[in-house]
Amino acid sequence: MQRAFVAGTVLAALLAYLGVFVVLRRMSFFSDGIAHASLAGVAAGVLLSLNPLVTALIASVIFAVVIFLLERKSNLSADTTIGLIFTSGMALGVLLMSFKSGYQPELIGFLFGNILTIKPSDLIVIVCVGLFVGGFLIAQQREITLLALDREMAYLSGANPDILQLAIYVALAVSVVLGIKILGIILVSALLIIPVSISKLISRSFQKLVFLSVLIAEFIVLTGLFVSYWFDLPTGAIIVLTGAVLFFVVFVLKGMLRA
Amino acid sequence: MNKAIVEVKNLSVFYNGQTVLSDLNFSIKKGEIVAIVGPNGSGKTTLIRAILGLVPYQGQILVNREAVQGSLEKIGYVPQRFSFDRTIPITVGEFLKIAFRKVAIRRLKHALLEVDMKEHEHAPLGSLSGGQFQRVLIARSLLNDPTLLLLDEATSEVDIGGAKSFYEIVAHLNRVHQTTVMLVSHEINMVYQFADQIICLNRQLICFGKPKEAITKEVLEKLYGQEVRFQEHRH
Repeated sequence: MQRAFVAGTVLAALLAYLGVFVVLRRMSFFSDGIAHASLAGVAAGVLLSLNPLVTALIASVIFAVVIFLLERKSNLSADTTIGLIFTSGMALGVLLMSFKSGYQPELIGFLFGNILTIKPSDLIVIVCVGLFVGGFLIAQQREITLLALDREMAYLSGANPDILQLAIYVALAVSVVLGIKILGIILVSALLIIPVSISKLISRSFQKLVFLSVLIAEFIVLTGLFVSYWFDLPTGAIIVLTGAVLFFVVFVLKGMLRA
Repeated sequence: MNKAIVEVKNLSVFYNGQTVLSDLNFSIKKGEIVAIVGPNGSGKTTLIRAILGLVPYQGQILVNREAVQGSLEKIGYVPQRFSFDRTIPITVGEFLKIAFRKVAIRRLKHALLEVDMKEHEHAPLGSLSGGQFQRVLIARSLLNDPTLLLLDEATSEVDIGGAKSFYEIVAHLNRVHQTTVMLVSHEINMVYQFADQIICLNRQLICFGKPKEAITKEVLEKLYGQEVRFQEHRH
């Protein structure tokens, strides 16, 4: 439970912070695509008896770079290239898993998430990679915000939009895979989208949007964690449902206050 | 005053196999106000964007004797249009603060005051009207004390009173700080009043020089066709 608490706190902050830029840049399909494609990395880890989290991280970085290159070198739209990688990665994962016979509890954990089964080695990876990605995002916040508003504006302010875009893709891919340990491949995008969606309902400034997104994500993850532990319910599902309930409560309250 | 700040040599721009600009050659000296005029689709915006390095081109463009990427921090730019997601909660002040690495609060407030938007510092950017937003973009372009100011129909959505004060701001910057200004404008009377040089474009350079000397009946016909009426200004 202690490991779950530490991992949950780190990942909630990281994913909520990245979620601000995901929502601004309309990149939720990218994160969903990377999460699903990372099944190939998970399956490779299980098959080769390596840490599936590490192999999934490597796979996610490769997929992020491939999506970035395809967007630039082909005339395909972003959602088409993401769809291509999304399905190809999943298909590769299914194929690799077919070589391993019998029940795969680790695979089920990655599909639906189970923060309570985080191993010490997983925690080390989550904290180290999370702090590194978080540090990068904080250091580049001005440039990333400019890129989220307008690509040309980022260029004119001295940033290199292409390199920055690639760095964001990799940072997002890595963070999404870390988040899989909590919510699973299927639900991880929720932590990128729900906190910032709630925050956007009530924020008038960018500073407040970022701060409230992180705060709300921490509340959602920790509440979901304790409720799932207490009532022995699936962690990922409880976290997402906590967020969804909070979203509708804030949405309705805001509507009532405006009326 | 004689140092060239923008040098354009054999500039051509192609888009989807079409020639947008063909073999332009001119040089802008430090401290000049240069107006770019021409009909719709004549390449005015493309010229500004090529100078900024925003579109690929053939030929050579130097700003401060180097590639533009080395001078971006000292260039102010107001685009003709700026589309962004208006639901993003970001205030006018925040939008200005992120424009450059270091923006002094006093400088920010002064820039907003200059465009008559001081009371909007904490307003959400998405709540501004088109004209108000364009004024914020002008304030943004003034924040870093630019040596070169590029204005692509910057007054297109600013009301008449605002447009007047805007030209006064430009003239003030030019006079006091020797800021070089290149502006795309349809307001020929303003061009006569404020511009030192004029660039007439119709995919190629039709004229370049002092407005009163460069704008002739033949030039106007080349720009806008035979039916245009020529009336000399007497300032």
